[in-house]
Amino acid sequence: MSKIREFMAGDHRRCDDIFAEVEVLVAEQDWVKAIAGFDIFQHAVLQHFSVEESLLFPAFEEQTGMRMGPTQVMRGEHAQMRELLEAARIALVAKDADDYSGNAETLLIMMQQHNMKEENVLYPMCDQHLSGQIDALLPKLETQIQATAE
Amino acid sequence: MQALLSFDQAPPISVPLRFFLTAPLFAMLAGALLLWSGPDLFASRWTPEALALTHLITAGFMLQVMLGAMQQLLPVVAGANIARPRLIATLVHATITPGTLFLVAGFLTYQPWLFGCAVVFLGLGISIFVAATAFALHGVPANSPIILGLKLALAGLSVTVVFGLLLALALGWSFDLPLIQLANIHLGWGFVAWGCAALGAVGFVAVPMFQLTPDYPGWFGRSFAYSALGFVLLWTLAELAAWTMAASLLSVMVVLIAVVFALTTLRIQRRSKRVRPDPVQRFWQIAMFSALAACTLWLLARFSPLLEDWQGWPLLFGTLLLFGGFMSVIVGMLYKIVPFLVWLHLQHRGRGLLTAPNMKKVLAEVHISRQMVAHFTAFGLLVLASFWPQWFVYPAGLALMVANGWLLRNLLAAIQVYRGHLIKIEAVIASRQP
Repeated sequence: MSKIREFMAGDHRRCDDIFAEVEVLVAEQDWVKAIAGFDIFQHAVLQHFSVEESLLFPAFEEQTGMRMGPTQVMRGEHAQMRELLEAARIALVAKDADDYSGNAETLLIMMQQHNMKEENVLYPMCDQHLSGQIDALLPKLETQIQATAE
Repeated sequence: MQALLSFDQAPPISVPLRFFLTAPLFAMLAGALLLWSGPDLFASRWTPEALALTHLITAGFMLQVMLGAMQQLLPVVAGANIARPRLIATLVHATITPGTLFLVAGFLTYQPWLFGCAVVFLGLGISIFVAATAFALHGVPANSPIILGLKLALAGLSVTVVFGLLLALALGWSFDLPLIQLANIHLGWGFVAWGCAALGAVGFVAVPMFQLTPDYPGWFGRSFAYSALGFVLLWTLAELAAWTMAASLLSVMVVLIAVVFALTTLRIQRRSKRVRPDPVQRFWQIAMFSALAACTLWLLARFSPLLEDWQGWPLLFGTLLLFGGFMSVIVGMLYKIVPFLVWLHLQHRGRGLLTAPNMKKVLAEVHISRQMVAHFTAFGLLVLASFWPQWFVYPAGLALMVANGWLLRNLLAAIQVYRGHLIKIEAVIASRQP
């Protein structure tokens, strides 16, 4: 059973795709579309964080009693990525392609190594420990994330 | 499962950096060796200088970076924290560095005591590393190709080193062993079961991650590392049992493993979503083409007596594989890992007080691009030197020193940014205290 892992990893890929689309727009110097695209990207990422922090992590912490474990590390990394998202947005609004690309590159690696920890370690743990409540939990995760995808 | 519960911070930045900073020094030594030995080095793959050069690159450059990177990577990809990371890094670094120097000196002088020291130091260093990582990985389920790949690559490294130590002892004390056969086995394990398996595992994650390509196909993740290790193992058994026909067939399979990796990587790279390839993508691309060229050469030499008679082909093969293939990928990876680590640690230290400089402010792309040109110039000259050593060996040696001096300079510049920013963070903290 790896339902949580599959679903949440799928959302990671969706965010990656939007990130790549923005990069194309920045390279074309189409600032209006790039800013609009970045807003969609930022919103998708923040929504993903929020679904984890408000639904998935508390359920995991409740079930395992591990409150200072992996979920705490993930929350810390979310905070780091929120800062990078904001820095990238500021650069984009200022039409500073170089500064955007530096922040975006850093964000990309931060995001990918974070995803790797989640997909290889935390989500499998969630699938294992939350197997009893997956039928109730998964639709909630889906609804909240789909709200941003539309 | 204990490792999973404590997955937390990356190891201190000094843990991987000491390995990354030592590697270019060995490559510079390799350049110096070319200048010192001149065209004689290229007389055959068995000249003492050619053996010394090979090991300056494999044990001096590749092994250093790969061990450093693995200590950084394991906590991230597998939640496997190495206990006492600073101590382990110090012990491993302080043994494999002199160990490699002893080995190279051994090749150049054939003094038994130098081979003896190399065996002790390298054996000890690799044993400590393998034990520490195996302990960290113990109980971590191999639920992703990178974890599986790294576990199998560690096994590949261990066997490579065991055969290497055996060869060093045999050379030092003139044991009656089938040296050429053992050297080929050592090479097969080193290039494919360790090098290719480790690169396959890392590439499986890093290529899609850095270059926004589609994922490697599922069959690749499931079977690449097993196939690499499996075919090398079968081939070794066939070689040792002197089943000539089977060994010959299996050796072709071993080389085809590398071909599959290079072709798959190039295929997904063509579908990268990034607008323009950054230097690191170039490093990967050229590395894969170079590895393909090496494998083609090997297969041609296997079936064409004309080529087989040419003493220079193994040297050209080694140049394509080591300098064009492995080294290019490794340099490219360093340019992602080091600036990211600097940012990560600064961000952590200055949280909320001072924004950390982003990766491109830590090391500007223009410096990476320029060093890349130097690296590929050195590679091109080395290829030419394997055809016409008398003309190209000196420019190649010099270019290799320049390219790696430049790499070292770039890495040190990133560390300078790190140090400078730390001072700023401390100043902010001091100014906030009443």
